[in-house]
Amino acid sequence: MNEGDLKVVEGLRALAADGLREAPVSVEKRLLGEFRKRQHTRRRNFWLAGGVGAVAAGVAIAMLLGIRPVPVPSAPSAAQVDAQQATQADDEVAGNFYPLPDTDYLPPMDSATVVRVQLPMSSLRLIGWPVSEERAGERIQADVLLGQDGLARGVRFVE
Amino acid sequence: MPNGLTNGDGDLLRLISRGDEDAFLAFYRRYQGPVYRFALQMSGKVEIAEEVTQDVFMVVMGSPRQYDSKRGSVSAYLYGVARNFVLRLLEQERPYLTALDDPDSEYADVTAGDQDLLADLTRNERIESLRNAVLALPPAYREVVVLCDLHELDYAEAAAALDCAIGTIRSRLHRARALLAEKMRAEERCAV
Repeated sequence: MNEGDLKVVEGLRALAADGLREAPVSVEKRLLGEFRKRQHTRRRNFWLAGGVGAVAAGVAIAMLLGIRPVPVPSAPSAAQVDAQQATQADDEVAGNFYPLPDTDYLPPMDSATVVRVQLPMSSLRLIGWPVSEERAGERIQADVLLGQDGLARGVRFVE
Repeated sequence: MPNGLTNGDGDLLRLISRGDEDAFLAFYRRYQGPVYRFALQMSGKVEIAEEVTQDVFMVVMGSPRQYDSKRGSVSAYLYGVARNFVLRLLEQERPYLTALDDPDSEYADVTAGDQDLLADLTRNERIESLRNAVLALPPAYREVVVLCDLHELDYAEAAAALDCAIGTIRSRLHRARALLAEKMRAEERCAV
């Protein structure tokens, strides 16, 4: 290394020591905000996948058992739901449809299909109902509301 | 930046991939300084340094398993990602940059020369002058000087960060130092 190079290296050392700067706190804040946002989306997608999976499993079981879906020409209005309830067997009691978690981003329903399925009691947890472990494996009859895209929007339980 | 796969880096990246916020924060705090300084020394612009730092850690956040320990240290990986962002931003800004960024530009020399003719070169001014000289180096030489001389990476690490051969690092560093020495000599002549 010649004298000129040595001078340069010496100068660069001084330059390295001179500039020990750090990123401003605002960068950390922005990144943390983004991290939390992503984690929220991730959790939502996890539950969505779980919900859709549970309903899809129910639908698949229903199909295997030869249960035919009941087509509904358009999204059920309150009147339609009332009428539907009226046509149910006298000994059946069905409540309102509960929206499945994280279905807000799905397109609005133009038409819908209601599929009667048997689901494990544990599915009730998806809509926030507490289910004890002993009863989690029991079967419950439910109507699943599918949109025109085949994605489940809601569920109601039939007693 | 800590050299090699320091204890805990692998664990932190695994935890980040599982969504652990504390792990992400620890990783960020460990490496933000060197990444920020690298971007600042490469661009000379605080805005670019901030943007690059953010972009680099967004990559870590989005795909923490992208880092492959077989290809080098975490530091080298982060420098490599930062370097790509810096070069992209400098390319975008090119029409708006002063000719200081272009080593062949007469304007770059005139600016530095004028400043130095009038200035009594104190230590700080010499550092500033050297900083400008580094910024005026072509990017391929600049990045080697910043990594090897300012961040004290060894040739192998710098080669991993820049994805090139060790021989290339060695020759570029030699050439870059020669360019800087030449510039400093020219400035000294102007100052006399």
